[in-house]
Amino acid sequence: MMTGLYLYARWLRVWHWLNALLFMVLIVSGVSMHFGGSALLMPFNTAVTVHNTAGILLSVTWLGFMIGNAVTTNKRHYRVTWRGLPQRLFAQMRYYGYGIFHNAPHPFHVTADMKLNTLQQLSYLGVMYGLMPILVMSGWAFLFSTFLPDTLFGIGSVWFVAMIHLTVAYGLALFLLVHSYIITTGDTLTSNLRAMITGWHPFTPPLERSFDHAAETIPPKTADQRS
Amino acid sequence: MNDPAPVKPLLSHLAQRRLLIISGILLIVFIAYRLFYPPLFDAYVGKTNAPLTYANSQTVTPQAFELLARDLSHQARYQKAAAIVATDQDPFARQVKIEMLMNTASFVRDTEPTHIKYFRQAGIRRYDGPKTCLGCHATLQVTHSDGRIETVNTLDDIVNSVHFKFQSTSSGFSTYGYDGRAVNSGQRRIPVGKIDRACGIPGSFTWTGWAALVKSRPDNAQGAIEIRSEGCGQCHIGGNYQPATEKMMPIGDVPNEAKAGLDCLICHAANYDMNQRYVIQDEYGLRWNQDRSLQAALSVAPVTNDNCLRCHQHNMGGDAYIHNQAAQNLGEKHRRLLHHGAKRGNPFSPEDDRHATAGIQCTDCHIPEGHKIPRGRLGVDLVANDLPNKEVSCEQCHSQLPHNHSKDKALLNGHITRLACETCHIKQLEENNVVLRDWVHPTWNAEEGVFQPTDVYRSGAVGTGFTFLWFNGNGTFLANALGNHPNHNLNYNPLMQQMVRIDDAGAIAAIRAKAQELKRQYPEIDVEQYVRTATDPLSQLSPELLAKRQAMIEANLRSVMNQGESRIYPFKLFNAMMYEDMGNQGPFGAMILPFDYASYYETGDPKAAVKKALQDPIVQRMYQLPFKLYMMDEFMAYFGVMDGWQPNYPLVNGELKRVEAHWMRQMGTLMVNHGIQGRGRECKDCHALNGIMNYEALGYSPERAAELRDLDVLTQVELPFVDRK
Amino acid sequence: MMLALFLFTTPITAVTNQAHSAMKPPEDHRACLRCHAMKTLAYRDPLSKKIITLVIDPSGFEHSVHGQLNCRECHEQHYQRYPHSERARAPLHCVKCHEDGKKQAQHQSNHQPPRQYQFTTIEQEFKRSVHATSDEPDAQDFNCHSCHNPHQFQRSQIGKPLAQVVRDDNAICLSCHEQRFDSLETTHAWLPRRDKHWQAVRCLECHTPLSTTGQPVSHQILAAADSKVDCVNCHSQDAQLLTRLYQYRSQEDVARTGFIAKAVFNDAYIIGMSRSPIIDFIGLLMIALTALVLIGHGWGRYRAAQQLSRGSQ
Repeated sequence: MMTGLYLYARWLRVWHWLNALLFMVLIVSGVSMHFGGSALLMPFNTAVTVHNTAGILLSVTWLGFMIGNAVTTNKRHYRVTWRGLPQRLFAQMRYYGYGIFHNAPHPFHVTADMKLNTLQQLSYLGVMYGLMPILVMSGWAFLFSTFLPDTLFGIGSVWFVAMIHLTVAYGLALFLLVHSYIITTGDTLTSNLRAMITGWHPFTPPLERSFDHAAETIPPKTADQRS
Repeated sequence: MNDPAPVKPLLSHLAQRRLLIISGILLIVFIAYRLFYPPLFDAYVGKTNAPLTYANSQTVTPQAFELLARDLSHQARYQKAAAIVATDQDPFARQVKIEMLMNTASFVRDTEPTHIKYFRQAGIRRYDGPKTCLGCHATLQVTHSDGRIETVNTLDDIVNSVHFKFQSTSSGFSTYGYDGRAVNSGQRRIPVGKIDRACGIPGSFTWTGWAALVKSRPDNAQGAIEIRSEGCGQCHIGGNYQPATEKMMPIGDVPNEAKAGLDCLICHAANYDMNQRYVIQDEYGLRWNQDRSLQAALSVAPVTNDNCLRCHQHNMGGDAYIHNQAAQNLGEKHRRLLHHGAKRGNPFSPEDDRHATAGIQCTDCHIPEGHKIPRGRLGVDLVANDLPNKEVSCEQCHSQLPHNHSKDKALLNGHITRLACETCHIKQLEENNVVLRDWVHPTWNAEEGVFQPTDVYRSGAVGTGFTFLWFNGNGTFLANALGNHPNHNLNYNPLMQQMVRIDDAGAIAAIRAKAQELKRQYPEIDVEQYVRTATDPLSQLSPELLAKRQAMIEANLRSVMNQGESRIYPFKLFNAMMYEDMGNQGPFGAMILPFDYASYYETGDPKAAVKKALQDPIVQRMYQLPFKLYMMDEFMAYFGVMDGWQPNYPLVNGELKRVEAHWMRQMGTLMVNHGIQGRGRECKDCHALNGIMNYEALGYSPERAAELRDLDVLTQVELPFVDRK
Repeated sequence: MMLALFLFTTPITAVTNQAHSAMKPPEDHRACLRCHAMKTLAYRDPLSKKIITLVIDPSGFEHSVHGQLNCRECHEQHYQRYPHSERARAPLHCVKCHEDGKKQAQHQSNHQPPRQYQFTTIEQEFKRSVHATSDEPDAQDFNCHSCHNPHQFQRSQIGKPLAQVVRDDNAICLSCHEQRFDSLETTHAWLPRRDKHWQAVRCLECHTPLSTTGQPVSHQILAAADSKVDCVNCHSQDAQLLTRLYQYRSQEDVARTGFIAKAVFNDAYIIGMSRSPIIDFIGLLMIALTALVLIGHGWGRYRAAQQLSRGSQ
């Protein structure tokens, strides 16, 4: 019998994995177009169609996420609590930079009201509300570059758009890299991954925790209240 | 620690037994196919296969070999040297130079037949047919037109070429059935080609007319009988007792004995003795002899026109053509019977064809891929085509701008959009070109001492011997050229006009005269009726069939006629009166019945000859259910008979049933492409009041036709050009 | 907004058809076309060895910019009979109509798009073109009609498939420079995937300088030595040439396939278009460094976990 918190609603999980899939497809096809010609990559012509299609779908899923966040309670996880933000941020960074190597307790505990630690929250916010719209919009600008002015600030607008798209793409690829690593820092290597599949954040009884015995002193309930 | 598990067999006993039974059955089926199918098939179609021997295939002594080699070398060197010095005026100087050349080292090296050396080294002292050739040439490198090089088995390559099997079950025919379907373009494919094509020129088909011995009684021989040879096999390269009938079936192959009868040398030897080509009778039946002498084999060289023309001049210039070399050597015995009327009358020879004069070889235009030789994309007749997609055309060499000399060169080139080169550059055919051949009323040929079909009308002239038709490369099942005026004119309808009417007054008069002459021998002939059916074959159709014919042309053939871009081509016209099975009649004709050559030639009784041919087992099979289902229903659909093949055998108790003599319902149109003359026609040949083109029949409006007939109007630019300033 | 890139080719669009049919119909050309519509009315000139074609494609002419003219408006005299008089070879007077300004006004009064090219500019450019300056015997008597068949000439219209535009346009060059088809030909050997380029790019893109006059393509054809022989002109951030290519392609795509289809199936990308060596370098470096940090981090965690399990035993 699974005990824990049901953190990830079905729509959210579906969106997440769809998003992940599209991300991968876009990276592979994007790299194929950007560095076209290598035998290891997709053929250029295929990559164009795949990239365009996946890009359009990504725009749709992004919109879906925006709407989902707007109409469900999920948005609460993205509401930044400004008070004590630097401290929490520092605690989280300290954990990743130091505590994790000394089997220190996780400074943040997941609750039904706040599933994201501060670092996660800020980076997700940046990605979903910052980089993603820029990426999507620059992508569409590419597709309909006819309707752009010939030049922007004296440079060819197509190139301008291309550079934005490229830079953001690099940023997001970087995010994906870090993100896929960070999810292994849960209670166990795969517990976060499983949570995103089942929706349930495992709430493991203290005795069974092999690593995190320092956390035993704090009952989960109180942890919830504290954040 | 545990008990060892019992060793499980890979298969249970039951499965083992089943496997054994299945393999046993497969083995039995295979053995039956190899051992029992061939004799069963032979028995079914009434054909024979037996080991073939040739008297002239003899082992020679080493000494005789060298003697042969020396003669051949001498002959080859002499011919080439004589050709080189041919322009020298003084005969003595020529002789001296020939002798000098013949003994010049490099000349000897380049001229001596190569196979002398090969045979000497390999110790070959006897030519034994394909076996000898395949000893070195077991495989063959074939270069395809797309540059692909493929190594093929030589024997398979030749056995599966139309030169051997003259049939094809594949698609790629430019022939359309009267039902509107391209032959063998669908899922259902039947073997078609010369092997089963009904045709009025030879009066028979290869199944029944492969090889015959005819007792001739020439008038000047005072009653002595001379045996003559006749039959399709005189040209076709299989040396067996029958054509490659086995290839018509979905399974089975030509037996090895038959393959051993292939005549490689007729195409590949420079010195092939056509006198060896005659029918011989052995204990198994009749077959064609061939030259298997070592002398012929030693002369093997790259194929030249002489090789091809041994057979193909027969259907171009004809047997009676004065420069037909093969017709000069009819056989050391059982001399081959000459066909006096020419099938096309357009010879390919240095005397009568510009290309042959220039030394162009057949294979320069018909570029072979292995043993498959292209005949081009265009074709009106139902002849199997090994390379249907390979082009053979004037434009390949001449481009579309061949005229360089004339002051009208641009305009002449301009005409190529609408006219085929042949239209201007073949101005006439041989005079003995047959237009109408009557098989039903044979006449006595005193010189040859045989009864022959009567050629009611022969002509090589434009308008009577050949005519002009729009042609887009498609033809019907009975060899009618299809095409249309580029404006897709509904008035152009050759199957109701040009191909079903002879209206030239001279031609009609000649036909009437011939009919009157025939009437002396056949009093039952009604001359006027005879002339009418010969010149208006549609008069033989009932009004219902005529209406159906018209409807089928519009519904099925019109779109085929309108395909692509048609040009005007010359077509030789031909019709024949033959016996037909009226139980299998449609708007475009009825099943033509073959004649048995020997009885026809000897007795002059065409009915008896038909009866004889009908008794041939394969004709009987044709009238039975398996053949009906296997191919005849489909065959008749192409023929324009939509309710299937009626397998009612027309010979009942020795009497012909439902058999009537008729002219084919339309003339066949045979493409003529050889006998090309360097100088083409003049403008006024066509653009004059009495010009050779019937513009109205070709679908031009009366106004346009009038314009086209007036060279003055044509060269006048009617708009007044005025300086508008 | 519309960057009208007019190419000298023969596209046929519904727009021009309607425009033409609305105008006065051409007079009957029948007398001339009786011969000149023959598709093979041509010959090889014995002196130049070239094919001289006299063919007028009636439908091509009808849709050409001159399609509303009568034959005799240009070919004024000496054509009364076949064969035509030698005097018929006299040069034509194109300038009578084609004076800059004069037609410009007419075009505007007809509500047609303004002329993209000025004949005076073209003439200046052409004078510097290798076709005008070359001493080659083949280049003698080079004139406008050597490339632009007045009976076929059309302004390119958006809506024609791009590949077709490129093919038609290059066909003009290749009609003389046919040796470029030779597979053993080496002058373009430096160009990677040569045939692919020839299908996708007009000869003009490399063999003309970037126009400074505001006309889409210069008529100053460059000699081989002066032409562009580097990839970066197109495959880099250099905006000018890139934009010239990209914009037409994109515009064409939208017009041809519609909005959504264009988004998925556009063929407007150019390999390397988004390439920027600096961003690539920084981006890849960042990714590499991050990957290194993450590997190190993982290694540290592994060590910590080992210590912990040793400690607990």
